[in-house]
Amino acid sequence: MASDKIFEPLKFRNLAVKNRIFRSSISGRFDNYDGSGNPARINWEEKFARGGVGAIISSFVPVHIRGRIMPNYAMIDSDDKIPFWRKVGEKVHEYDCKYIMQLSHSGRQRDVPGVENFMHKALSSTSNKDTFHGLLCEAATVEQIHELERLFANGARRARAAGLDGIELHASHGYLFTQFLSSAINDRKDEYGGSLENRARFLLEVIRAIRREVGSDFHLQVKTNAVDEGSALFPWEKKGNVLEESIRICKWIEEAGADAIHVSMGNIFPHPMMPPGGFPIDEASWWYGNMASSGVRGYMNYTLFHFKVLRPIFLYLWNRSKKTRPVEGACADESRAVKQQVGIPVINTGGYQHGALIRKVISEGYCDGVAIARSLIANNDLPKIIEQGRDLPERPCTFSNRCLVNAMANPLGCYDLRRFNGDHEAMVREVMTVFHPPPFP
Amino acid sequence: MGEKAVRTKTKDQVLTDRVLETPVDRYQLKFRRKLVIILVIILILLWGARLFRRFLVDRPVDYSMIEEHFKYGSIGSEPGGSLFYAVGGLLPPYWIFKALPKICPDKLPGGYASLGFIFESGRDLPIGVSKRQRLGFEQVGLNCAGCHTGTYRDEPNGEPHIVLGMPAHSLDLQKFFSFVIECSLDERFNADNVIEKVREVGGRVGVLDRFLYRTQLIPRIRETTRQLNERIQILLSGQVPAWGVGRVDTFNPYKAIQFNWDLKALPKEQLTGASDFPSLWNQRPRDGMQLHWDGNNNSVDERNLSAALGAGVTPVTVDHPRLERVRNWIWTLPPPKYPYEIDPVLAAKGRDLYAYYCGSCHDFDGSEVGRVEPIGEIATDPRRLNSYTYTFAANQYTLYPDSKYRFVHFRKTNGYANQPLDGVWARAPYLHNGSVPTLRDLLEPPERRPAEFFRGYDLYDRKNVGFVSNIAGANGQRFFKYDTKIAGNENRGHLYGTKLTPEQKDALVEYMKTL
Repeated sequence: MASDKIFEPLKFRNLAVKNRIFRSSISGRFDNYDGSGNPARINWEEKFARGGVGAIISSFVPVHIRGRIMPNYAMIDSDDKIPFWRKVGEKVHEYDCKYIMQLSHSGRQRDVPGVENFMHKALSSTSNKDTFHGLLCEAATVEQIHELERLFANGARRARAAGLDGIELHASHGYLFTQFLSSAINDRKDEYGGSLENRARFLLEVIRAIRREVGSDFHLQVKTNAVDEGSALFPWEKKGNVLEESIRICKWIEEAGADAIHVSMGNIFPHPMMPPGGFPIDEASWWYGNMASSGVRGYMNYTLFHFKVLRPIFLYLWNRSKKTRPVEGACADESRAVKQQVGIPVINTGGYQHGALIRKVISEGYCDGVAIARSLIANNDLPKIIEQGRDLPERPCTFSNRCLVNAMANPLGCYDLRRFNGDHEAMVREVMTVFHPPPFP
Repeated sequence: MGEKAVRTKTKDQVLTDRVLETPVDRYQLKFRRKLVIILVIILILLWGARLFRRFLVDRPVDYSMIEEHFKYGSIGSEPGGSLFYAVGGLLPPYWIFKALPKICPDKLPGGYASLGFIFESGRDLPIGVSKRQRLGFEQVGLNCAGCHTGTYRDEPNGEPHIVLGMPAHSLDLQKFFSFVIECSLDERFNADNVIEKVREVGGRVGVLDRFLYRTQLIPRIRETTRQLNERIQILLSGQVPAWGVGRVDTFNPYKAIQFNWDLKALPKEQLTGASDFPSLWNQRPRDGMQLHWDGNNNSVDERNLSAALGAGVTPVTVDHPRLERVRNWIWTLPPPKYPYEIDPVLAAKGRDLYAYYCGSCHDFDGSEVGRVEPIGEIATDPRRLNSYTYTFAANQYTLYPDSKYRFVHFRKTNGYANQPLDGVWARAPYLHNGSVPTLRDLLEPPERRPAEFFRGYDLYDRKNVGFVSNIAGANGQRFFKYDTKIAGNENRGHLYGTKLTPEQKDALVEYMKTL
């Protein structure tokens, strides 16, 4: 199907990808506790490369231990991590797939601090705690901000040294960059807070620092929010950035030297609208215990998830704002608005699965490519299925978000029993394939 | 970081370990501490509001039916004023009042009913005792009905009929006050015993109540009773003739309680003033007449307010609206009709005799009704008249100062007032001091009137018109022996009609049943 827009190469300034399907950043606690990688991560990434995606955006890769979401995530905080990432890149390249490392810092959104972090607060733009879990933080000083910029530049240097194909700055979903960008979160009074220009300063300085560190010929894309929707969960919270502000930020990102924009939404993660789909309250009851002591609202949330009589309270709050958006292509309209205003390629994420829809958004100027996570977890070979002319896999992703909630405690995989005809063992077997081949065959 | 330690004892050693705190732990501890403080403050505020409500609320038990209000409603005779300076009230709080006969069973073996109080079925308080939340407790007080509700019965074993507004001819008010005072001063009136007996009669005594009983209530009751006893002991201790049932000495306790007079300093003669409870019906035509037995006041309203003082009301505690409700009702309350057969022929004969001999003084339109008959003319026992003095009247003018209720109508008189005789059949015994048991006896000259008789029985004597008075006791109750030789009890005077023939007297009495 040479005429299929999905499978036309996508050419960035410094990178060419064979098709328009990107594996979106998706994590999973596969790595060693200290952030060094292990073979499971390589197995994991290989699944998607083998499945036919054009490029893989890595898991959330912290540039410093203090910015880790949870333990067992491979990091890029020191040069000794370069060999591991080189192995990951080499494995993915075997399938003519590109590998883009997502350079990240959790800021205050540190879901499970781990033994390294639990005795001190996270760094953020603010000292106000996170609104969902009550994760505590303290506002970074200007000196600390400059140090953070250096951490990102070093991360980029290491990614390039590992032979990877590019980097993505994770400036969406409520992590550190969002905490600076969002008017709902950033309450600073200095040059990093207040006006939109000031709030964007940290991100733009990081882009410039990276360009200084790795040059202008290394692919750099920025994943950013089109809208914050900060009041989607709790109506008393601030709304945050709106589309017009985000478009201005995207233009500045382009001017600062980025090669692409990756459009998403939501100033917390998970957010009622991102990832779109259901909220598996039973899974939350089973696994949220891992997070109960992370923030000061953990026990309250756990109580809401655990007691059946209280669950409707949370589900009402969580679901009340979902009605305005589709599950697939949840922020496609915003993506088009961004694309119309910038000159660099735009990738969009948000529940893509149907081939027809992907084709439509790429053909009709919503975006240049789509980034997919959950549908690819359900069917690693989704690109091949679509390439074969089918619109949907035989057992498509249900968008139940069971994978999302399991991720905080268990190996990442599809946990929707319906997709395994109720066979729990079959489901677990499938999840555990990430450990094959074993480290010591 | 917290420095608390956990100790684990094993066979050979004690292991200790520190309990550390993360920022999340510290935040949560701080938050929960705040929450606890807020909760404690809320609880204190709620408790305070409850206490505030309990101790500062003044809430009488109200009744929509005026008859029920008359019988059980408050007129403000319960203790009141402020928490720290309670005034008024002659009775202890509700639960203690109920428990009092159990605290001193030897002093009142038959309970309050044995004193002539009327109990209706389904009521735990007798007619004439009201209930009101004041000063943190349910209080009780006397109201108008206590002294102005009576009974009569048709047969010795018949059920008594209750008549509202009728003199309480069976009530021994003096014994009642004596009992309350003596028991409140008895050594058994201590916190432990009172609390125990209150519980026995069904009262709930919580922690706060126990504290208040011990530190406030019991000591305060004992002290106020001691003071009251000191003032009126001379009236209750046999040093003056007993009031007996159906009578009250209106003004002597008044002198001591309202004006703090030293009764011992008064001439003995002025301390003898017991007289019958009057009826309360049909007050409108009485306004402007000389009221009270000696006619010392011609305002129904001022007379009502003065009578309320006798029930324990004070100018501070009085409940004017509720008293006025009673006043408006008795304003037009009709007298009870004679409940038995009347011989119409005989009554017709008696009507003419009544018109000739009695009407001018006792008919509502009589020329002399409501006026004072000089003592020299009426010649009945003068003690009640003499107990009310000029000085006392002068003192009464100081009551309710600076208000529309200020007393201005009291006057010293020189005799007894001519009373309208509506419902006279229910107002036995007769004369101001109740010294003549029946109407028929009243038409006899004093030497032929009963020199001794018994008061308190409510069996009706249809022949002589009055209550059966020649029986010393019935239904387990002893009646009061009335001796007309005792000062204040004399049955002399009012010689009108005594010279009629027996037939004429019978006819006159038959007619008077119709009044």
